[in-house]
Amino acid sequence: MTLLEVSSLNKRFGGLMAVSDVNFSIQSGELLSIIGPNGAGKTTLFNLLTGIYRPTSGGIHFNGSDITGCKPYQAARYGIGRTFQRTTIFRKETVLDNLVIGQSLHMKTGVWGSVLKTSAARWEEQQIREKAREILSFVGLTGSEDKTAGNLTEEAQKRLSIAMVLVAKPKLLLLDEPTGGVNLEEIGGLIELVKKVQESGVTICLIEHKMRMVMSISDRIIVLNYGKKIAEGTPNEVASNGEVIKAYLGERRVA
Amino acid sequence: MRKLYSLERVSWLFVLILAIVVPPILGGYLTSILILICIWSMMCISLNLIYGYTGQLSLGHSAFLALGAYSFGLVAVKLHIGFWPAFLAAAVITGLFGFLIGIPALKLRGHFFVLVTLGFAVTIGVIVLAWVDFTGGANGLAGIPRPDPIPLPWGVKFRFDSLLHMYYFVLLFLILTAGFCHRLVSSLLGKTFIAICHDENLTESLGVNTMSRKLLSFTISAMLAGVAGALYASYNAVISPEIAHFTRGTDVLAYLIVGGSATMTGPIVGTFVLVAIPEVLQVVPYLKTLINGVILMLFIVFLPSGIIGGFKTILPKLGGLRGRPRAGEHDIA
Repeated sequence: MTLLEVSSLNKRFGGLMAVSDVNFSIQSGELLSIIGPNGAGKTTLFNLLTGIYRPTSGGIHFNGSDITGCKPYQAARYGIGRTFQRTTIFRKETVLDNLVIGQSLHMKTGVWGSVLKTSAARWEEQQIREKAREILSFVGLTGSEDKTAGNLTEEAQKRLSIAMVLVAKPKLLLLDEPTGGVNLEEIGGLIELVKKVQESGVTICLIEHKMRMVMSISDRIIVLNYGKKIAEGTPNEVASNGEVIKAYLGERRVA
Repeated sequence: MRKLYSLERVSWLFVLILAIVVPPILGGYLTSILILICIWSMMCISLNLIYGYTGQLSLGHSAFLALGAYSFGLVAVKLHIGFWPAFLAAAVITGLFGFLIGIPALKLRGHFFVLVTLGFAVTIGVIVLAWVDFTGGANGLAGIPRPDPIPLPWGVKFRFDSLLHMYYFVLLFLILTAGFCHRLVSSLLGKTFIAICHDENLTESLGVNTMSRKLLSFTISAMLAGVAGALYASYNAVISPEIAHFTRGTDVLAYLIVGGSATMTGPIVGTFVLVAIPEVLQVVPYLKTLINGVILMLFIVFLPSGIIGGFKTILPKLGGLRGRPRAGEHDIA
């Protein structure tokens, strides 16, 4: 089943075509990676999918609805969760509170329920804390509930940022460089986590620079260069694609 | 779980008992100052909700205070519908203004929001002064009623003709306002306000309609400032355009920063300190602003988290007086 369908998507910043006529789809349950040199338009593409930018033209369909040009909070409510390149968590809050805030879109208690502390409000808060603890053990951060999020290691912060999105139960998870800025030794654990998330039934779309990682975990890969899609296919197909090699290594000079 | 008998709770209970027991032995002058401290504290708490917790700096709260005071005064004086209906009308009207101003203003972020709210405050100040037929202009509006006597059992009535009774009335509202904000901010809904304060973009990407949350916070904040204004009008019996001057909003902001923004007790402490010090020193009125300014600058440079914020960072270091160390500036206590 097609979960996400992107058709002839364009984004222009003044004279620059950041994303140019990009078509692709994501199937339910797969792990799709988007790769490409710096400035290829990968993050812009994510920003278009999550409503941070409005496309200049083209369409985005998700799970049967047209979500072109929706607002970021609407994209999240449709079921698209995302993490950012620069690790984004609420650094001054506790780990548990981060995960409580992650569930905001499911919260129903209004002003009066909150102020009067009705039984429904207390029950909801309990449920939400419960769920936060569950996800904490899923990503392997049990025991850090009360730590201030900003004091965690970079690797744990990455885990937390994934958990914070995951706790809202998205259908599609967009991960923007989940291993960026993390020690080489710790990358393995994060890859395991990404796989585990996929196995739990969440479709994943990944932006990544570390080729070994991309090649090992992706079902399919899309390659962007200068905002255009230059290749698409399985890891092996992409690795042997002439265009891709040219984009990464430059052209072979003919003597 | 927090300790039930934390040092902080005990000390606040002590302060509350003092606030109830001491005023009868104070003279009328000091009681009137305490009434003002209660009213400005309420306004300060309302500003804390939108600025301290939601992160949107409003310099327009003098306008909401004035709207509350004038709508209460006008409804009560011109329509003669009794204290409580007029009081309710004042809260609703101010909340409505907050909502309507919030829609365009909160679309702007950072400095632009601040400028719009400041512009709104100045505009309301001018309107109150210039619309003589409606507001009485510079002559002010007189004859604003005190609360209706509340009937108690055995035929006794609790009247509000004395200063002391008025003080207890205002104190009750201060406690209600503080309790309301405490519950709101420590709820799940409140956590999304605080999240917006930390990182609005991240919060929105998590599925929170940040615009509607900011609007909710701003509307509630405006309404609480309006209630403070209505209480002020009722206490003073006369209101003049002076209360609509935007410096009232900036004064209250100074109270908030000195007391500690995004803390529950900071607004009350800050208001008490900054109102009491000039009174004790008996300085001329225009010097008060100067003293406030100097104190504010000292705090911004040396203790930006305010008196309560400072306590919260120092206390745990003094041997863990408060159970466990709490995270972040956004302590809810």
